[in-house]
Amino acid sequence: MKKIVKDKLPSLWEQLSSQATLFLPVEQDGVVNFAPWEEGDSVNLEALNTVVPPKNVVFPQTETYMRFKVENDKLHIEPFEQNGPYVLFGARPCDVAGITLLDKVFLQEPEDGLYSRRRREGTVISVACNEPDAACFCTSFELEPGMAPGADIMVWDMGDYLLWKAQSEKGEKLTGSVENLLQEAAEEEQKAAMELKERVTAKEAAAAQEMGWDPSGVKETLKDMFDSDIWEQFFRRCLGCGICTYICPTCHCFDIQDYSKDQEGGRFRCWDSCMFADFTLMGSGENPRPTRKERVRQRFMHKLCYYPSNFGLYACVGCGRCVRKCPVNLDIAQVIKEVGGVKSGSE
Amino acid sequence: MAQNNLLLPQVAVVEEISTETSDIKTFKVASQGGGSPLEFLPGQCAMLSLPPVGEAIFSITSSPTEKDYLEFSIKKTGSVTNFLHEIEEGYQLGVRGPYGNGFPLEMLKGKDLLFIGGGIGLAPLRSLINYCLANRGDYGQVDIVYGARTPDDLVQRAEIFDNWPRASNTNVYLTVDVEWEGWDGHVGFVPQYMEEIGFAPENRIAVTCGPPIMIKFVLEGLERMGFKPEQVITTLELKMKCGVGKCGRCNLGDRYVCKDGPVFTYAELLNLPPEY
Amino acid sequence: MKQLAEIMKDIAAQSLSRGEVDLVIGWQKGPLWWQSYPAFIEGNEGNGETGSLTWDSFCVPNLSRYLLEELPERKKVALFVKGCDALGFNQILQDKRAEREKVVLYGIPCTGLVDPDKVESAGLGRGLLEVKRDGDELVFVYDSGEQKAQARDFLYDKCLTCRYPNPVVYDQMLGEAAPVQPEERFESVQELEKMDADERFAYWARQFSRCIRCFACRNACPACSCRECIFDIPEPRWLGKANELSETQFYQIIRAYHVAGRCVDCGECTRVCPVNIPLQELNRKFIKDINELYGEYDAGVDPEQEAPLVTYKTDDPAAFTES
Ligand code: SF4
Ligand code: SF4
Ligand code: SF4
Ligand code: SF4
Ligand code: FES
Repeated sequence: MKKIVKDKLPSLWEQLSSQATLFLPVEQDGVVNFAPWEEGDSVNLEALNTVVPPKNVVFPQTETYMRFKVENDKLHIEPFEQNGPYVLFGARPCDVAGITLLDKVFLQEPEDGLYSRRRREGTVISVACNEPDAACFCTSFELEPGMAPGADIMVWDMGDYLLWKAQSEKGEKLTGSVENLLQEAAEEEQKAAMELKERVTAKEAAAAQEMGWDPSGVKETLKDMFDSDIWEQFFRRCLGCGICTYICPTCHCFDIQDYSKDQEGGRFRCWDSCMFADFTLMGSGENPRPTRKERVRQRFMHKLCYYPSNFGLYACVGCGRCVRKCPVNLDIAQVIKEVGGVKSGSE
Repeated sequence: MAQNNLLLPQVAVVEEISTETSDIKTFKVASQGGGSPLEFLPGQCAMLSLPPVGEAIFSITSSPTEKDYLEFSIKKTGSVTNFLHEIEEGYQLGVRGPYGNGFPLEMLKGKDLLFIGGGIGLAPLRSLINYCLANRGDYGQVDIVYGARTPDDLVQRAEIFDNWPRASNTNVYLTVDVEWEGWDGHVGFVPQYMEEIGFAPENRIAVTCGPPIMIKFVLEGLERMGFKPEQVITTLELKMKCGVGKCGRCNLGDRYVCKDGPVFTYAELLNLPPEY
Repeated sequence: MKQLAEIMKDIAAQSLSRGEVDLVIGWQKGPLWWQSYPAFIEGNEGNGETGSLTWDSFCVPNLSRYLLEELPERKKVALFVKGCDALGFNQILQDKRAEREKVVLYGIPCTGLVDPDKVESAGLGRGLLEVKRDGDELVFVYDSGEQKAQARDFLYDKCLTCRYPNPVVYDQMLGEAAPVQPEERFESVQELEKMDADERFAYWARQFSRCIRCFACRNACPACSCRECIFDIPEPRWLGKANELSETQFYQIIRAYHVAGRCVDCGECTRVCPVNIPLQELNRKFIKDINELYGEYDAGVDPEQEAPLVTYKTDDPAAFTES
């Protein structure tokens, strides 16, 4: 393992950004989000979770993929792609897990070329969490705050320095390219990091357990709960906004739209949300999910029942974003607890 | 480098447009170099692109045995379809697909087939009907019950009045909802007519498509006639964007209609949330 | 405040069991310290759920807005209103989206609510179990013990400038009137007015560039009560779905204009924004301009009062037509 002293981070940013677009958690007006790093940005590696997860790096909120021109009834179509290597530095382990869940959707047959290209072009560096907060519950999904198996490089914040471990070929390559800024980590330093990791995981798991945020069994229980009264108690307070889905690292729904001036323009895909009224609204005016009740149910059923039935895993990584940001506290942790409660009640 | 961008359409030409009813037209679409732009199975769909208006998904109404073009029967319902109704022959549009599972051809082999269609719902059925008639030996008796609100709302008139009734071992039963001047055929709703005629469920598969309310009564009628849910097939229509199970828009429970559908047996639908 | 919560439970149980209303909207406590969210209690006994009603320093979501969804389905609805919620209610009334006789309002004199972000930035969030209000103080409860602090340091900005902490409309007031001690609310507007046009444009461009277009600001707003919002109509789609700055500016400008003269300054839009866009500054700029052009007007205070932007006068100052 390697390490980098924190004083050298500015040089690291410079060096990385000279070879690729460098996405870092950048603070602006009190909000920390991933953004392409520019000289003078205030990088915040302490903030636990960015408001918007780094899914917008691999799956941008708006992505033009085609240009067109209509001329005398003739149609010209050209693919449009913004290519380029990038480095994503500072994704939390839950963020990385979120990306691997997106992988399942976009990389399954037929593979989504736009997405897979972005995945190939990027190197993901994850920073371990030393202090998960009250809304975090990644351990409920068998994730570790101190470890992101899907990251190319894993980094632990040890105070004055970051311990640095390449976990993939891409990671090795990037490590090699910034070797001048790294040092070998001593045996004790590695041991200290691994101990820290174990401590944090144990503490976090205990906290989540105490809250009753245990999803085991929920995917089975929910199979019979489509018509359950439980949705009644949740949906009324929902504002029907898009916060919970837009800031969720696992939500992958998108819309496709054209823009144009005269007869020339582009086509893009952009995030969409099952919480919006027009998500399933058909041209005929019919809507299979006409009220917030069906829409709220869809969100939780998708994450906790449908996705697991297709891919074996929950579509939630316990990042706590919806717990922190839903303006009316309609979050997945409460649903897990309630549904889990249904199960133990009937046993 | 353009990678396998699933969402990228190919350019195709509208070769022929025929007016079916006051709000339905059928479009023949071929590749720029001629020939069908896609290989597909009956019951599958394709996404038609009309930049700058957008894209929409339609079932392919021609049979795969027709190699020269694809046909789409399209009713005016929104911006893309309104625009389609304005274009003229020779207009170029984008096509991508085919999407969906298509009808279970293996399961239909050797069976008597009962088609029940309403209005524009004939479109997906027609692909299968013509496919079966082109491979006549593989199927038993073919019965087609088709209706619309008025005689003017019946589509594919050449086929329903001439071609299909003339095919061997094939019956066509037409009906309209209301009495109409010049119409001396049957008057009444499709589900009732189907029951009046009466079809035995033995060795028969029913395939139905039409407005949701018609499908509902057809399913009930079939059940009364002794059809089991496994013997009944229908095809669904939901809002779709990607066509490949990624945009998350068209799910019924854990199934995506664009990918795992649009064709389902009634037995399968009974196990899925009724969000259609 | 504990006491008030008890009164709320009793009164909700009573009005449900007497059949006076078929729905009570209040707040319930979630599992985490900052979670107090809207609760909907129905049935003639309230299904024993009235006991879960709560009142604490986090009961910030405005309940009036839910009348838009709930009222058409119900005979009569009771809800608890803080000062700002009452203003929102009046606006909904004035916009003819609710019938006064179908609503029972229980007024809550409000001494200001706690902004969880301020607690976090003061470093008090870790391990926090509960926050209790004790007069002018807050008590932060941890496993290891308690810590006290001045409440005012942790209140929402909107509460610090609140001029109507006591509901202006109610059927029954629960508790003693709260003191009214607002700070100047146009201070940040004055700062903005000092900027030149380019600086102002850059300021708002920076703020709006963070917008994720979740529409929470619209969906939380008691003045955004249109049956169908222009931004939701799929055809024609007035607002492009691409998250582009120009589209966001278009959205935010239309939103601000559409609530101009009807914005009750409740601050919900600003609270719900996940990326801290100071929408209240923009709304207040409108309020200030309206006050200066047409005379003082407080939307939501008196639904009978003529609203300046929807009232025609021959001597209208109409400053926006001046070159
Ligand atoms: S659950 Fe919360 S964040 Fe999600 S749409 Fe409803 S109000 Fe918005
Ligand atoms: S559902 Fe909530 S906690 Fe789970 S991954 Fe999404 S935002 Fe995070
Ligand atoms: S269906 Fe809803 S919950 Fe599922 S990915 Fe899409 S937006 Fe997210
Ligand atoms: S615009 Fe904002 S402050 Fe004004 S009424 Fe709406 S939510 Fe309240
Ligand atoms: S249309 Fe995108 S998932 Fe079905």
